[in-house]
Parts: sequence; structure tokens; C-alpha cells
Amino acid sequence: MRQEGLLRHAAVRLLGLIPTLLVLITIAFFLIRMAPGGPFDGEKVLPPEIRANLDANYHLDEPLLQQYFRYLGQIITGDFGPSFQYKDWTVNELIAQGFPVSATVGGLAMLLAFVLGTLIGTVAALRQNTAVDYSVMGVAMLGISIPNFVVAPLLILGLAVYAGWLPAGGWDWSWQRMILPVITLALPAIAYIARLTRGSMIEVLHSNYIRTARAKGLPESLVIRRHAFKPAILPVISYMGPATAALITGSVVVERIYSIPGLGSYFVQGALNRDYTLVMGVVVFYGVVIVVLNFIVDLLYAWLNPRIRYSEAP
Amino acid sequence: MTPSIPKLLLICGALSSLTACGDRESDFGRPLERRSQPVELVLLEDGRPDPEVLAVDQFIRRGNGEEPETLDPHLAEGVSAAHILRDLFEGLTTESSEGEINPGAALRWNISRDARTYTFYLRRDLTWSNGEPLNAEDFVFSLRRVLSPETASSTSRTLLPILNAREVLAGELPVEDLGIALLDEFTLQITLTGPTPYFLGLLASPVAFPVNRGNLEELGDQFSRSGQLVSNGAYILQEWVPRVRIDLRKNPEYREAGQILIDRVSYIPTEDRATEIKQFRAGELDWTYEVPNNQFKWLQRYYPEELVVSPWMGSYFFGFNLTQEPFIDNPSLRMALSLAVDREIITDKVTQFGEQPSFSLVPPGIDGYVPFAPEYADWTQEEREHESRRLYEQAGYSDEWPLRVEIRYNTGDNHKKIALAVASMWKQILGVNATLVNEEFRVFLQNRKQKLITQVFRVGWISDYNDPYSFLELFLTGNGQNDYGYSNSTFDALLEEVGLERVRARRERLMFEAERVLMSDHVIIPIYTYVTKRLVNPHLRGWQSNVMDTHPTRYMFKLKARENPSGEGASQ
Amino acid sequence: MALLEVKNLEVSFETPDGVVQAVNGMSFTLDQGETLAIVGESGAGKSQMVLAFMGLLAENGSVRGEALFHGNDLLKMKPRGLNGIRGKQIAMIFQDPMTSLNPFLTIEKQMAEVVMHHQGLRREEAKAHAVEMLRAVRIPDPEERIKQYPHEYSGGMRQRVMIAIGLLCEPELLIADEPSTALDVTVQAQITELVSELRKQTRMSLMLITHDLAAVAEVADRIIVMYAGEAVETGGVDDIFYRPQHPYTRGLLASVPRLDRASDDELQAIPGNPPNLQELPEGCRFRDRCTEAMEQCRKRPPLWVSDDGRSSRCFLPMEGGRTLQNATEPEHDE
Repeated sequence: MRQEGLLRHAAVRLLGLIPTLLVLITIAFFLIRMAPGGPFDGEKVLPPEIRANLDANYHLDEPLLQQYFRYLGQIITGDFGPSFQYKDWTVNELIAQGFPVSATVGGLAMLLAFVLGTLIGTVAALRQNTAVDYSVMGVAMLGISIPNFVVAPLLILGLAVYAGWLPAGGWDWSWQRMILPVITLALPAIAYIARLTRGSMIEVLHSNYIRTARAKGLPESLVIRRHAFKPAILPVISYMGPATAALITGSVVVERIYSIPGLGSYFVQGALNRDYTLVMGVVVFYGVVIVVLNFIVDLLYAWLNPRIRYSEAP
Repeated sequence: MTPSIPKLLLICGALSSLTACGDRESDFGRPLERRSQPVELVLLEDGRPDPEVLAVDQFIRRGNGEEPETLDPHLAEGVSAAHILRDLFEGLTTESSEGEINPGAALRWNISRDARTYTFYLRRDLTWSNGEPLNAEDFVFSLRRVLSPETASSTSRTLLPILNAREVLAGELPVEDLGIALLDEFTLQITLTGPTPYFLGLLASPVAFPVNRGNLEELGDQFSRSGQLVSNGAYILQEWVPRVRIDLRKNPEYREAGQILIDRVSYIPTEDRATEIKQFRAGELDWTYEVPNNQFKWLQRYYPEELVVSPWMGSYFFGFNLTQEPFIDNPSLRMALSLAVDREIITDKVTQFGEQPSFSLVPPGIDGYVPFAPEYADWTQEEREHESRRLYEQAGYSDEWPLRVEIRYNTGDNHKKIALAVASMWKQILGVNATLVNEEFRVFLQNRKQKLITQVFRVGWISDYNDPYSFLELFLTGNGQNDYGYSNSTFDALLEEVGLERVRARRERLMFEAERVLMSDHVIIPIYTYVTKRLVNPHLRGWQSNVMDTHPTRYMFKLKARENPSGEGASQ
Repeated sequence: MALLEVKNLEVSFETPDGVVQAVNGMSFTLDQGETLAIVGESGAGKSQMVLAFMGLLAENGSVRGEALFHGNDLLKMKPRGLNGIRGKQIAMIFQDPMTSLNPFLTIEKQMAEVVMHHQGLRREEAKAHAVEMLRAVRIPDPEERIKQYPHEYSGGMRQRVMIAIGLLCEPELLIADEPSTALDVTVQAQITELVSELRKQTRMSLMLITHDLAAVAEVADRIIVMYAGEAVETGGVDDIFYRPQHPYTRGLLASVPRLDRASDDELQAIPGNPPNLQELPEGCRFRDRCTEAMEQCRKRPPLWVSDDGRSSRCFLPMEGGRTLQNATEPEHDE
């Protein structure tokens, strides 16, 4: 019964994705077209003959509505079209190149953040209002408040330029090149997760069922692991949906600073260059990733929390 | 002359929030990394370096800014693609390490007396990297490809001097009607619309490089990808990992392959300038694309041997919108504003990279041309300011009725600092109330073009080719680039004459006169001429600074490291 | 030797508003097989006293005194030693069955872990044992229901599960803290009945904590009446019901519905509220609500004790009792 409810819930959610994406595509399409300037505008103005050839080549000479339906027709087949800027590649190829990189770095960062964040948060909760608690959470606050673009250069200077242990930037799928970006991305997430975990762990530890577990004579470590951990990380799980989506689709700042060929910079670059197809492709892709991740979080939530039953959902 | 101290303080005060007078990177103090020193360069009799002094591994890594948009030489627009394409391909002409135009695929050429017809005699032993012979027909095919409407090449404008190019691009004439004729297997004739003295230089740019027809027809728009590209330059494309690196290796089929010392070159995209410096310092780059504007002092202090600054073919200036108040028909106001700007403070205190303060449009050093210098260029700044105040009052402004004006620029740290400095100078000297307006690049360009809301706006112009005309034509009536709304029939007539003149000295005279007319109308406020600025590994030699900033790898070589008693630092 | 002997137990809490003295100088003994009821209004300190010697106080609580279980002081035990007793020799049932079970774990897991931990049973053995125990507390279809989560059980069912968990290791002492308060009246009766029935079968001792004097009439052997953190009267169940000594006990009895009384109209709740534990009055703590308060009640009342184990703290004399010297008791408000 529970399984069926989940399946039906999944189907409804996936169907709901279609109108969401359609709205997203429509808004994004007209929004980027409303931005002043076009993909072929630069400091050096093109002669009209050349401009006309370019516009015809990319169908920019057609009425906007016709372009919109052309785009819709194209996107239904899963084709995001050619990039205006990166002429040798289609948007599909660019995403296929960039996403695995961003997803690897972001995924590792999220994993690290989850493991360390929950660990730190739990330790702080257990040592509530002690020196350990204050120092751990103080460091965590620093992690949140120091921005990436400050942390990253300091890490590069220290570990790459002076110590020479790690490369300063670039990408070749080796772990050495992943360390610094993963740490940089993970730091604020670790801090945030630690705070979330600490708060909810303290609350859970005050709950009656933890008292019951202690009254059973279970060792404290087992009480934490078996009885307190799951409920305490529920808020963390909710946070991780959007946070993971943000991390695995790539951080512009971190990808620039470490010269990582991820997806993050495409959105900004695409928007600045008025690379319509690239911006659209990345927006739609983001949309799908976010919806899918939220969906996964929902499932995870249901799996962790037996009180949620989708068969009862309206 | 030295500016008065209070003024300096005022401007520095205004800029301190932007860290212009401070030096951000200097907080980190002295760099701690270990650096090796190259051995002394020893040249043999033929001018080539002694093999004894060369490093064993002739491999270099060049920071290359943004990812190239394509390696199709006919579609690529950006500077970063051009750097790579110059290694991969060779046009009819090519550049020396100093940037001079030399014979490339063409061994020699004749220019007709009317300076409109160029006959090129190709070398007879040329081959593509796949071993196929390369001849004049390849050039005809390639040039026609650039100019055919289906190619939709934006850089095709470079070849507009070719006869009928405009009509072919507009689809009014077939490509066969272009002024490009195949005389025989190794002879090619190109006819131009008018005399174009810089035409040989245009032929050395990527858009005029040949592409291999078979390669293109087999692979279509994917021919320029990794492992597929057939080229004719000193290097061939070995691997292209998008946004990670582009690896080239020596082309054994190249006509001068025996002379080439660098075996492999890796172009690394470096979007972030600060990271690029760190990669250089960590020994991961031999050559940076650029260095950040705000680190000059620190670099100059700690990397004097690595830091290379040299003049570039570009001008930085502010333009007036002549079609709107307050600048319409108001040359004295425009001149007042121009005179009130202390260029030396801007180059010394704001930009700091040895940019040359400028009073004219065309930067010096372009193909022998000496730019027009107005009388006030030789005045002291006090004299300029005095005259500025006089003109300001003459234009009807005073402390009670100050000018209110907007300075518009596209987002950028450097632009912001310069605009802020100019605004504070105007405030200080004239009492002008200037507002800074910062816009995203394409929004800014559109506003400039529409000429409706712009007043004073920033312009940076870096020329495509080595000729003053490239700067002057921006101000022609109706030119797509004329965001000033400038229209002066004398100026237009002079430029038209330039287009027809084939005697070099007379042509230069006409351009000088045109520049004089333009500068006397005070359409722009010249600020400085650009410089290129980068870090180069001292082991890397063979390249020369030049105004075109072209640095083909084929002239370079790498020295081995000096023996170190402790046995360290020999990694280079 | 008594099974449990509590001596001079003091419980206090550090709060931002000051120290709260929750339990003062509680002393009592509990013998093997005996049922002891601790009765008092909510806030009287009954639960805190028990939580204190079970090592379950909140972080801001502290405890002094002794709680000897088989002669070993629970308060001085290391966590490991205490965990060997909790759930195994002393089990506890809490007042709110809705929140006392972990909503994230199946009943099976929450039951099996007790015997797996204390008796080293393997999972299947533990499960079989748990099913038997559910059957013993009359959960229908225990094989299936054991796989369910707490939210799939009603309140009464959950309390049965709690009881089953408590009994898993056949403890020597079961502490039931208001086991039926949160349940509706019919279920309350069933639970109380179940507990006493199970007790009779197993010969364990039972400590019942309740605010409802009537509820324990049938089951308790002895009763301690607590008020504002201290015991005001102790005695056998008949003594308390038929010969109450302390005015507070009498007040409580008056508020109990009885079959032999004519109508509910005569039910009288004790007027007023218990004192604020942060600002306990000098003298008798019940003084302000006592119908028989006298001038001397402003001083600390004496403790009357008798040889048959009765006691009362009041200026009114206890029949057959003698007073103890105040000086021998620890002062609560120093």
C-alpha cells in the first residue's frame, strides 16, 4: 500500500513537471529576448550585410513568436540547438561536457558537507553550551560568513602557490584538482548543515522517545545513532534538495577561480553574451535538475519518516 | 608637471574605496615560492640559440583567457582563438616575431600601380598537415567561403576591401564575382575596391587563413574539433578538451618545421585573471593572457623579470553624444571638459600599467603614422585647467549654474575607477556635478548606439589591423560605429580621399588632417593608449613585444634552468 | 534489605530565572514485590524524583542524596553500570504514550533492541520474545502489528507497547509514571488493571506515580503523598484512605469521586495553587491552602512517624506517632 502510494505520487510529480517546465521555458525565452542587445552585438559593429546573414543563419530574422514555437518544437525532441557563442558545439554537447564536472565537484562537496556537517552538529549538540560547542559553532559561523571568493584564493595561495601540494587551477579529473574546489564549495554547506543538525539534534534529544530509549538502558552512542540521528537530520534533508541542485549545477565563482570546466559559468556567460540557446538550455536543464532533486528529497523524506504516506495525500 | 597635493589627495580619497591607491595583493607580502633561473642565452652564428642552452623538454603552457568560441579560422572572432589559430594556420602573408608582415604561403607578390590588384606567387612545396599539397586553389576556396552568405562569418568584414565583397555578402552577386582569381596552380590574383595599404596585414589574420576543402566537406561544422582539423601552420591540433586545454604539437609538414624549437604548446583557458597569476606562480603556466589591473605595484616589485608591459594598438577615451543636450553644438564645453582631465593622474594613479597619456585618437606606433597632437598637449596641466575654466564659463556655466552630466560605462573595475577619477577632476576644477552610470555591456552598447540617453560614455577601441584608418573611420557620417552622432563633411571628404590615395606619404598626410579636424571638434576626450601586460617565464625566449600583440609560438624556445648547487629548482 | 532505598533525595534545576528546588529530602523504601504509589498534584516533584535516580534528568538538573538499589547507589554509578540496570532490572513507563515511542522506528526494532542489548539475544529470538510480550499485553495479531510504526497504533495500544517494552527483561522494579493519564477513561482502567495483573504474575515491585488517589486504591500497598517537592504523608493504603492525617491528604480524598457519597456535588477540589518552587514560603508549604492553618504553621512543621511506617509532616499530631527532631533533617532552603 505504501509502495503504491509512492509510485502514484512519483507519477503525479513527474507529470506536474511538464507545465512547470513549459512556464519556465516561456518566461526564460521572452525574458532573455527582452534584454537589450543581441548575440552579435559587440564593441565592433557588424556591417548590415553580414548581420543579415548571421540573423538568417540562426533564424533571428523570423517573428519572435515563430522563433518561440520553433524552439518548443525543437526542445520536445530534446535538442537545445547550437550555441551562438561556442560555434563548434551544440548546447547539448556543452551541457554533457560541463554537467559531469559540476556534478562531481558539487556532489562530493555535498557528501563532505553532509558527513562533516552532521558530525559537527551532533558533537556540538551533545556538548551543548560548552567550549567545544562554542568553538565548533563559531568556526561554522565563519564558514557561512566568509564568501567563496575570499576562501578560494587563500586556499590556492597557501596550498598551491606556497606549499606546492596541489595544483592552483585547471581540471583533469584527478583527485588533486578536486580537493580545493570541493572544500571551497563544501565549507558554507558544512557550516549550515552543522547549525541545522545542532538545532534539531538538541530538540530531538529533549523529546520523550529519547528519554524512553535511555530508560531502556541503551548506551548513549546507540541512542544517538539509532534513535536521534534520523529525526535530527530531517531538516538537513529538506535543505539538501535545493542545496544539492545549486552545487551540482555548478558555482560560477568557484568554477572561475579554479578554472573548472563546469556548467556554472555557462549560465552567466550565456546571459552576458546573449547566447540565447545556451541560456535556455541551461535554464531548462537547471529546472529539470531542481525538480528531480526535490523529488528525490521527497522520497528520502518519506523513507526516513514513516508518518508521511502519499496514499493519504490530497 | 606635478599635480598639486590637495588635488591628488582628493582623487585618491575618492578612489580609496576602490583600492586604486592601495594595492590589494600586497597584503600577502613577499611571494614565498621557489623560482628557478634560466641559463645565459648563447646564440650561434646563424642567430639561432645554441642547443646547449635549450631545455630538454620544449613544451610551453600559455594562459589564453576565455575559451575560444571555435577553431574554424573563418568564424572565430576572439583574441584567444586568434592566438591559437596563428599557430595552427598560415595565410598568404604572416607576421614576424616583431609583428611585421612577411611572406607566408605566398613567396612574393606584385601590387599593381593603381594599388588595387595584388598578385601572389605561392611557394611550390607547401603541404597540408595531412600531406596533401596546398596550392592557390585552396586560397580561392577559403576566401570565397568566408565571404559567402551561408557561412555567416562575422569576421568576414575584414575582407570587405575585396572587390564585390559587400554585394556577395548581401547575396546580390555569386561568390564567383569576387575579385579573387586563380591564375594558375600557384598564382592568385586579388582585386580590391580601392587602395588598401594595410591589405597585406589583413591577409595575415585568421579570417584569411586557408581551410582544407576535403576536411571541411567530410566533417562539416565539426572539422575544427579535436584530432580532425587539417591545417597548414607550424602546429597541428592534437587535443581539445573544452575549457580545460588545447594541445598543439609541431607540424612536421610545415615549410620551416626544421627551424621550430617548441615541440608542444598547451593553451589553457584562464577566465579569472587572479587565478591565472596564481597558476603562473605555481609553475603551471609559462605565459599569462593578462594580469589584473590592480596588481601592478606588487608585480613590479616582486616579478620584475616576468612582468612584460608593452604598447598596444588601442585607445581608451570618452565620447560625447553630439545629438543631445548639453553637448549639441557646444564645442567649448566639450573642450573645457577635455582639458580638465589630468591624464597623468589617471595613468599614474589609477591604471598604473604604463599606459601612455593621450591627446589624440590614434595611438602612436601604428605603421609609422605620427598622430596629430593639439597645441594643449604641450601645456602644463595648470594651463589646461585655466583654459578649461575660461571655456566652461564661456559656455554659460558657473558655480551657481553647474553642469549636470552623466558618465556612462560598462561594468568593470577599471572603467569605474577611471570614470570616478574624471568625475572628481571635473568637480574639483569646474564644479561639474557628474553622475556615474554603470551598465551591463550589451545594454551599454545599445544605449550608445541609440544616442537617446547617452551624454558622456566610455569607449575602448583596439584595432584589427595596423592602420590609423581603423580608428578614423569610426567617425564617418552614418558609420555603424558612430555612436557620437558626429557628422563633418570636411572629415568625410578627407577620409574618402584616404580611401583612394595610393601614395603612402600623401595618404598619411590626409589621415593626419582628418584627425586634426576630428580633434578640433572635440568629439572625444582621449585618455590613454592601451598596453598589453602579462607575466612571461624568463626561461621562455624568442618572442618580441609588438603593437599587434601577436606572438606565434614558432619563434619561441625555452632555456634550461641554471644548475643549482643544492640540486633544487631544476624543474623548468 | 529493601529493593530500593531512597535517602534524602534532593533535585534542583538551574533556570535562567534562578534555582528551582523540585524535590526536597525525599526518603522512602520499597520492598520486593511491593506496590508503592506516589501521589500528588502535577508539579509536586513525583516524576522528577524518579527521573533523578534513573539518571534521566534534563541537563540543567542536579541531584543529591542516595538511591540504593540492592544496596548500590544509582546516583554514583557510571553510565555503563546504570545502563546495566535501566531497562533490565528497573523498567519505566512514561505518562505520554503518544510521544514516548520513537516515531521513526518500527515497534519490532524498539522492542527487540532491549533484549538484544541486555540479554544478548539474536534478532529472531528477540523478535519472538517481543511478539510474546505483545501478546501478553493483549495486542491482537502481534506478529503483524509488530512490523508497524507507532503512528499506526492508538494511544492505549501504544501504552500497552510501552508496558510490554518495560516487561521484556522481567525487571525487579517497574516504575509507571502516570501510565494512563493521557488516555481516555475506559482505556485508563484497562491499563491500570493490566499493570497490576502483570505485577501479580511476575512478583516484581511496582512504583506507581499518579495525581489520582482513587486510581491506586485497588492496587497500591503503600502510598506516599507529595506536596511541593516533599512527602507530606506516608502510610499503608488503608491508613491513607480511612485514617488520613495530613490536611492535604484529606483534601485530596475529598476531591475523589466515591460510590458511597450521595452525589458529585460534594466533590471539592482543594482551592488555590501549589506554591512557586522558586520562592517557597517559610514554614508549612501547604499553609496557604490549608483549611486548618494556624499561626505556628509559619514555622517548619514537625515530622511525625510511627512504628508501623506511617509519617506525616504537620503541626497537627499524628495518632500513634512521635515527632522527629527537626535538626536531624537536612534543611531545604539553605
